[in-house]
Amino acid sequence: MQKLQTIRGSYYKRLQNYGYIFVLPTVAMFLLFMIYPMINAFYLSFFNWNLVSEKTFVGFNNFKHLISDARFLNSLKVTLVYTLISVFFFMIISFWLAYGLSTITKLRRFYQSAFFIPVVLSIVGTAVGFRYIFNNLGIVTCITSSLFNTAIPWLSSVKIANYTTMMVIVWKVAGVYIMLFFAGFLNVPVVYYEAANIDGAGFWGKLIYITIPSMKNTIILVFISCVIFTFGAFPIQYVLTKGGPSNATEVLALYIYNLGFKQTKIGYASAVSVVYFIILFIFALIQIRVLTSPND
Amino acid sequence: MNKKNITVRTILYISLSIVTVIFIFPFFYTFISSFKGKEELLAIPLRFFPSKWHFREFFDFWNYGDLNFTRYYINSIIITVGAVVLATILSAMSGYGFAKYKFRGNNFLFIMILSTLMIPFTAIVIPLFLLVSRMGLANTFPGIILPMCLNAFGVFLVRQFMYSVPDQIMEAARIDGAGEFRIFFTIALPLIRVPLISFIIIQALNVWNELFWPLIISSSNNMRTIPQAVALFAGTYEINYIGQLTSSTFASIPTLILYIFLTRYFITGVSMTGLKE
Repeated sequence: MQKLQTIRGSYYKRLQNYGYIFVLPTVAMFLLFMIYPMINAFYLSFFNWNLVSEKTFVGFNNFKHLISDARFLNSLKVTLVYTLISVFFFMIISFWLAYGLSTITKLRRFYQSAFFIPVVLSIVGTAVGFRYIFNNLGIVTCITSSLFNTAIPWLSSVKIANYTTMMVIVWKVAGVYIMLFFAGFLNVPVVYYEAANIDGAGFWGKLIYITIPSMKNTIILVFISCVIFTFGAFPIQYVLTKGGPSNATEVLALYIYNLGFKQTKIGYASAVSVVYFIILFIFALIQIRVLTSPND
Repeated sequence: MNKKNITVRTILYISLSIVTVIFIFPFFYTFISSFKGKEELLAIPLRFFPSKWHFREFFDFWNYGDLNFTRYYINSIIITVGAVVLATILSAMSGYGFAKYKFRGNNFLFIMILSTLMIPFTAIVIPLFLLVSRMGLANTFPGIILPMCLNAFGVFLVRQFMYSVPDQIMEAARIDGAGEFRIFFTIALPLIRVPLISFIIIQALNVWNELFWPLIISSSNNMRTIPQAVALFAGTYEINYIGQLTSSTFASIPTLILYIFLTRYFITGVSMTGLKE
């Protein structure tokens, strides 16, 4: 039976316009609540404003000020360190745990559910809990001091606090990436492994030449989402350390929050937001370029 | 050969179990500790289990200070239900529209929506706050809900799954006189029921645990959400240590219970969308 020739008719063509009806509400919402604010942020960054008096146009002053602002540079450094190291651990830990999951047969469901539990817990709730756990008199300090004879100031040391927050975020969100990787593992065709076994491939050989290339897309996806996600860190720093001690954990998001809502320096906060967006944008572009082009 | 296999496997299981303990311990420990008395909380030497169980004081945080957790619970529920319903409708409709209709700008609009994934929330928080305030929605439910019902992943997801809905079924329904919306509701949507439910659950999880936006847009006590209230225990009320622990345990319990019953949907939902948080 031939394809319905009515498909070329004007009725069919008019039908396609229904697409607009289905799509436009969502498009409008996105325009209004995401794209317009983004443009507005760019606009506001050229002004000084404290919400009550008139805006004063200052051109690129805010951006010039940024470059020499010690607190901004600090938050940038904190965020970059936080992002790079957490993403590193995210990728490795999630990948290995997912790999482990994919090889065991018996208790898979159990381990899966267990790994995912931190994800479903309230992030604020767990952050408060970790304040207790990492307290200088708390249980982690007790364990480490009896094992290693040093009391590590997890949350009160300027050098260590950032790493403590990284531990918390990896603990909290690894489950997500474990599941993503796990799904990727399952999708690698078994025949590849069988062929490799016949050819006498070892564990590492199989890993490097079969598993990872087959999961390339998943890995890219996880990596990019991970970077975007960690770069926007806020709740943990806000609750666990409040940006302290001495701004050692004040990530960009927290700095913007403080600027805008505590100091009401709207223009300057917008400038920082713009820089923040640009950095993230460049990150993502580089990643996409690096990770996708050579193999296609 | 077999012996090597067994040792490898046991090591594997042991390490997975150790990791499991690490994952479960913090919550479990916080939960147990919330039954300790104030004196015991940071006593030296620290004990794992409370020596005396303070069951009766567990809910002391509920009305501590000017907090009113009943109200916050209700707020969180209203906001979550509202945001999830809206998000589902918007994502489902637009995903369907993008997948099933060829109209000018289809690709362009879809890419535009997808590109908003690049916009970090922190960057737009201040203008968004200004916008919502200017709309007169500061500190109101719509003000909290509306920005949280946008989920570009949802649009992407529904579009993906709508491709698997056969066009012939839709054609047949049209021939029988069904209107487009009827086709959408009674044919297409039920066919993607399973991933849709997973999406709904993940969106609900995200909205329920959201701290940043409600923190910014609610200024009065009776519009706070549970995450905000628990955060107060870490801030303003931080001398109430027990309150910190009990309230934080409580904050996690609703989602945990939901998770225990609907594990499957959570996990498949996440592998499809990549949880926001």
